[in-house]
Amino acid sequence: MEAEDLDRSYTALCEAMGRVGEGKASLLLAMVSLALIARQGSAEDVLPIIESAATSIGETP
Amino acid sequence: MSMNERPQILPVLIVGGGPVGLTLAALLGEQGMAATVIEADEGYCTGSRAICISRRSLEILGWAGIDRPVVEKGLGWTSGRSFYRTTEVLHFRMPSGPDDRFAPMVNIQQYYVERYAHEAALRGGATVHWSTRVVGLRQHVGHVEVELQPAEGEPFVLSACWVVACDGGRSTTRDLLGVKLEGVQYEGRYVIVDIEQETSRPVERLAWFDPPSNPGSTILMHRQPDNVWRIDYQLRDDEDPEEAIRPERVLPRVRSHLEMIGETAPWKPLWISIYNAKCLTLGDYRHGRVLFAGDAAHLVPIFGVRGLNSGLDDVGNLAWKLARVLGGRAGEDLLCSYTEERLHAARENIAYGAKSTEFMAPPNFAFRLMRDAALRLSVEDETVRSLINPRQSAPVGYVNSSLREVDDDAARLGRSALPGLPAPDAPLASAEGWHHLSEAFGRNFVLLRFAADAPFAGSPRYEGLTELTLLPADDVPRPGCPVDAEGLARERYGAPEGAAWLIRPDGYVLARWASPDPSALATVLDRHLGAPLRLAASEAA
Ligand SMILES: Cc1cc2nc3c(=O)[nH]c(=O)nc-3n(C[C@H](O)[C@H](O)[C@H](O)COP(=O)(O)OP(=O)(O)OC[C@H]3O[C@@H](n4cnc5c(N)ncnc54)[C@H](O)[C@@H]3O)c2cc1C
Repeated sequence: MEAEDLDRSYTALCEAMGRVGEGKASLLLAMVSLALIARQGSAEDVLPIIESAATSIGETP
Repeated sequence: MSMNERPQILPVLIVGGGPVGLTLAALLGEQGMAATVIEADEGYCTGSRAICISRRSLEILGWAGIDRPVVEKGLGWTSGRSFYRTTEVLHFRMPSGPDDRFAPMVNIQQYYVERYAHEAALRGGATVHWSTRVVGLRQHVGHVEVELQPAEGEPFVLSACWVVACDGGRSTTRDLLGVKLEGVQYEGRYVIVDIEQETSRPVERLAWFDPPSNPGSTILMHRQPDNVWRIDYQLRDDEDPEEAIRPERVLPRVRSHLEMIGETAPWKPLWISIYNAKCLTLGDYRHGRVLFAGDAAHLVPIFGVRGLNSGLDDVGNLAWKLARVLGGRAGEDLLCSYTEERLHAARENIAYGAKSTEFMAPPNFAFRLMRDAALRLSVEDETVRSLINPRQSAPVGYVNSSLREVDDDAARLGRSALPGLPAPDAPLASAEGWHHLSEAFGRNFVLLRFAADAPFAGSPRYEGLTELTLLPADDVPRPGCPVDAEGLARERYGAPEGAAWLIRPDGYVLARWASPDPSALATVLDRHLGAPLRLAASEAA
């Protein structure tokens, strides 16, 4: 994706999160993630992304 | 004043002797107009303030010889690094090469720019009244009366054909005319600190997000001349700004960060200030005979360094227009294009500035959460790294300006030097002593021909027009005929042999032709430059 498109999408997502509010932002993020996941070729494209995000955050709640 | 003594009407009175007002005075001097500057303070500003001068700004300063001292004193740079905690997540480079006239960015304290601009203004015949405030203003049909209050002594009045308000973010002129800035102001605050410390680090823009030295904060560092570091860091929302700039609050944070990055030489603080991002502009930069420029006209966030740089572009746009109007060589409507072009630029700068601010000082939980996500991902995933790029200042195109000729030959000339865009620079060899094409800009219109021979000597000449024939690389320079030594001008303009460009005094493309027909060329030149000069009989022969 071109940097400019990434930037536009990023800002649009931030603004949408702001509109739904902090309480419902995680629901919005979950919906957007799921829609993007469903557009990938296979689970192999998705699982490593989930794994590395979880590792980066650390798995102790 | 006795009854029959007519008050003198000055051509231009500039309110505010900051970097923008003093540069305008210097540029007007180059155009043969002696300006009068009124400055409330007794001297140059304190603290580094706007420190990053862009390549485009250096070109503009170059029109009045201010580029050389800035480059000699300043520190040029081309790249930057951003860190998330201690991991480098972005290393950006701005376009630059050995043939360039200037580095993409030069760091220098604002007071040096003010000093060099002041010296150039005096060389150009300007008068500067220090320690004098503008306190009143009355517009008349052909002039403006300005009431002045010196720090010591009696108030007095000066009249001028045109007043240019360069009196900064808290412009008195705006208040006196009852006009207001519009837009948004962000909450996030940054503390700004200058310290003196020796270092051997390369000159780069350095940014840390959430560094262990100051968890949760964002820190920017820039080197400046005289062994000065400029350090900017973000305050938490719950910190009281007045408290936050007390040295006992600031210095431990600075110390902790210097220790973290291994800068161990002794240091001392020089200046502490505070800043919050604003995206504001007037809706019109001309109100009767009063024009606005710089921070008086618009305020943009400092991230991306569009503040002073856009102010210098304002006066680069304005100086030649004002000089032509004052000299009776253009109608006042030329000044309408000033607002049109620079308001468009301000809106573009504000849009970029807002994006940078949303990353550097996230305005709410959503921008904060997404930024943290982008930073965390960027450690491993380079596809998101472009989001961290600070979107540094770049010249804005005036592609919809009314001051632009129809581009009939677009299909044959490519898209890189369109009417309304800044004319590309290129290295050249010349009999005039220029090393770069942009050195020919700044005073006159330039008619640039790409050809193997100078045009025939009997073609009409215009006052205020410099004609240049850019010979191919294998030729030898002659007066008026520099050589396109590396062939880069032909490449950057997308110019076939025989093509011609007409460039405005401020270095923007006005018109271009693939193979100019003399009558089409004359029509455009007559429109912008007036009737051609009559040739002396000996020359015409
Ligand atoms: C603390 C601080 C930090 C900054 N940091 C950065 C930065 O890092 N990067 C960046 O790009 N920009 C920065 N800026 C902004 C930058 O300094 C301005 O964009 C730049 O100075 C604008 O120049 P100017 O000449 O338009 O206005 P100013 O520099 O504000 O000059 C206006 C002048 O007008 C004078 N004046 C005001 N009222 C009157 C009156 N009634 N009569 C006569 N004179 C008057 C003032 O004394 C002043 O000298 C910073 C600004 C501040 C205040």
